[in-house]
Amino acid sequence: MNSALIISIITTVLIGMIPRAMPIFAAAIGETVDQAAGTLNLGVEGIMLMGAIIGFVVDYYTHNLVLAFLTAGFIGIAFSAIHGIVSITMKLDQVVSGTALWFIGWGLSGVIYASIFGISSIPPTVLTLKPVYISYLSSIPFFGKFIFGEDPLVYILIVLLIVVQYFLFHTKQGLNLRTVGNDPRVAEVMGVNPILYRYAALLFGGFMAGIAGAYLTLAIVGSFYFDMTAGMGFIAVALVYFGKWNPWRVFAGTLIFGAVYVLYFMMESIYPVIPYEFYQMLPYLVTLVMILIIGAKARAPAALTLPYIKEG
Amino acid sequence: MEKVEPIIKMQGIVKTFPGVIANNGIDFEIYPNEIHALLGENGAGKTTLMNILYGLYRPDKGSIYVYGKKVNIRNSLDAQKLGIGMVHQHFSLIPSFTVLENIAIGLKDIRIRLNLDKIRERLEKVMSDYKILVNPDKKVEELTVGEMQRVEILKLLFRGANVLILDEPTSALTPQEVEELFKSLRSLVSEGKSVVIITHKLYEVFEISDRITVLKQGKVTYKGLTSKTSQDVLIEAMIGRGVNITEFPRENKNYEGEMRVEGLSIYDNKRVPIVDNVSFVLKKGEILGIAAVAGNGEKELIEAIFGLRKISSGKIIMDNKQIEGMSVKQRIDNGLGYIPEERLTKGVAPGLTLSLNSVLHDHWHEPYLKNTVLNESEIKKFAKSIIGKFNVAAKSENVLAKNLSGGNIQKFIVGRELLRSVKYLLAVNPTGGLDIGATEKVRNSIMEFRNNGGAVLLYSEDLDELLALCDRIMVMYRGRIVGTFERNNFDKLKIGALMLGKGIS
Repeated sequence: MNSALIISIITTVLIGMIPRAMPIFAAAIGETVDQAAGTLNLGVEGIMLMGAIIGFVVDYYTHNLVLAFLTAGFIGIAFSAIHGIVSITMKLDQVVSGTALWFIGWGLSGVIYASIFGISSIPPTVLTLKPVYISYLSSIPFFGKFIFGEDPLVYILIVLLIVVQYFLFHTKQGLNLRTVGNDPRVAEVMGVNPILYRYAALLFGGFMAGIAGAYLTLAIVGSFYFDMTAGMGFIAVALVYFGKWNPWRVFAGTLIFGAVYVLYFMMESIYPVIPYEFYQMLPYLVTLVMILIIGAKARAPAALTLPYIKEG
Repeated sequence: MEKVEPIIKMQGIVKTFPGVIANNGIDFEIYPNEIHALLGENGAGKTTLMNILYGLYRPDKGSIYVYGKKVNIRNSLDAQKLGIGMVHQHFSLIPSFTVLENIAIGLKDIRIRLNLDKIRERLEKVMSDYKILVNPDKKVEELTVGEMQRVEILKLLFRGANVLILDEPTSALTPQEVEELFKSLRSLVSEGKSVVIITHKLYEVFEISDRITVLKQGKVTYKGLTSKTSQDVLIEAMIGRGVNITEFPRENKNYEGEMRVEGLSIYDNKRVPIVDNVSFVLKKGEILGIAAVAGNGEKELIEAIFGLRKISSGKIIMDNKQIEGMSVKQRIDNGLGYIPEERLTKGVAPGLTLSLNSVLHDHWHEPYLKNTVLNESEIKKFAKSIIGKFNVAAKSENVLAKNLSGGNIQKFIVGRELLRSVKYLLAVNPTGGLDIGATEKVRNSIMEFRNNGGAVLLYSEDLDELLALCDRIMVMYRGRIVGTFERNNFDKLKIGALMLGKGIS
């Protein structure tokens, strides 16, 4: 490889990783808050698919992107509310409930698509989000374009990252929420309502997962296809572990995933000898290895996945 | 002398739980600037009474007055608003949070921004006011038990508690930590607070308290100032006068074989002895009782003999065979039986039928196992015989164990242990929580087993039960055997005094 090729690889990875990472990050930041309060939502994958199809349908008919994203977010809230009723109120197993949610979203999104658009060789498309160039900053040579020339959601998500970080570690409500995730009984004794906090965190996570799904259809691909998330929802859940329930670390994890993802597309064209399926596996393999190495020492919120059952 | 009004008055408190009257018309007062010891055996109703004051339980009857005003305490927040705080045996702390963060959880006077520096300032003021010190930036998991307790006390003071209730505060502390705690409590009282300590340790009461209330079986049996109270009066109030000892028919024959325990010790992970150099002989045809206040190594000793707990040193010899290196299965095969206290989790497999539960210890033997397959008809026959002979109220042997009442499960467990060929039986609180009928059945069965040459090592929290059943009683205190009594020398008050550590440093 010559140096020009290497530079072009690096540039492509840097340009491509942010759009790849953002949908996962949107889902992961929600899941981080959710898990910090003690609820694991394995249904993120299904909710993303629902957000993807609903966002797509709304945008297709109304051409109103804001409305499309919001609807996708609300479908996420509705789906995670089901998870809440089953696992928080009825105190049943979170893994089973989340898995059920995944399958419902997986199947239902396909059914909705097929029943509205039918099956055609040319899939319907919508216009994707346009990048917003921040003047001055985006004219910085080399880096300017891909760091300061992203679609508006990227900026919103980065603001959200800062807000969530501040919320979890520098506000009373964040401390209360983490207390609920560690020991809901202690929270109750200290006058904090664990059920309320768990629901709020879960619904926020659902909203973000819905947004994440719409992000795929409305900002990246421009159309919907069956099972288009291809495990991104699970990667989001895994990256929360990798990030040790710290928003900044979760963000870093999603960027690494995004970079590997872009890299595999390029490697595929450079070394086509290796089967395409192998490349496709790479980002997931890297995520797994990352979690094995770093996540092994991670300390989960002590009450994660445990329902709160009041004594007496 | 002027009369001091109590700041808190509980009157005629009654609280029942299914099958138990935990509090039966209790009057209790807390006075300003005093340490009040609430004394009693396990199950006397001390914690229940204080949980009522702290709003965790609602009393069935009775009223509570704070500064002469009748109050309705619905939950612990109500109690905290009235200046009442309680430290339970299980701490309410988040181990991965710092001390400061733990103090800040749920604070009402912060709106959004959590300014830990401000909280630190306030905490440091509280710490210097009451001379209770702890590093505010350490994580709770890095603290000692004594320090965690201090955090709990600080948490209450931080929220303006005037009355602090401590449930068995010394049970997990080292002697030095106990000294520290007592110092803190004295400085609290000198700063105008009132303290209630729930305890069953006699020496603590005299060392720290100003006033004593003794509970026994849900009733107040003694009330008075510590300075005007003698140890003997307290012991009697706690365990009661000697009652008529029930006489069971006893056949005294000599049988071959005995279990010998020699120099058995168990250390915890901090190298503190839980069971300390215990030796005794258990003969066939005898019931040997262990009398101890819970937490003095009695259960650990029995678990170690059955093989559920590693021993640090010592020997266990059963019929001239050394068994301390054997697995539980091997011990069972050599004739050891066990009636555990936790019948639903250790006595039976709740989700299995009675017939499968009947062969938990034998299903690897003939006739229950034939050519590697369970022999259902033999197993059912055995289960049926337990149900029949021990009056277990169950529709059939196919009922799941968890669908039986506690008393019937216990009769079933006792029946199983006694009908299979057990030679030595270990029993922990075999009649705990049972009604009179089931209690009688269990006691009679154990006695019959003894009369037929069985050996029983019995621990019971009910001293009267030990006095009724045992041929000998040994008293355990802080992991050691501190006295042994033959049946003709049984003296309830003497045994009680030893159990409570009187005259033992």
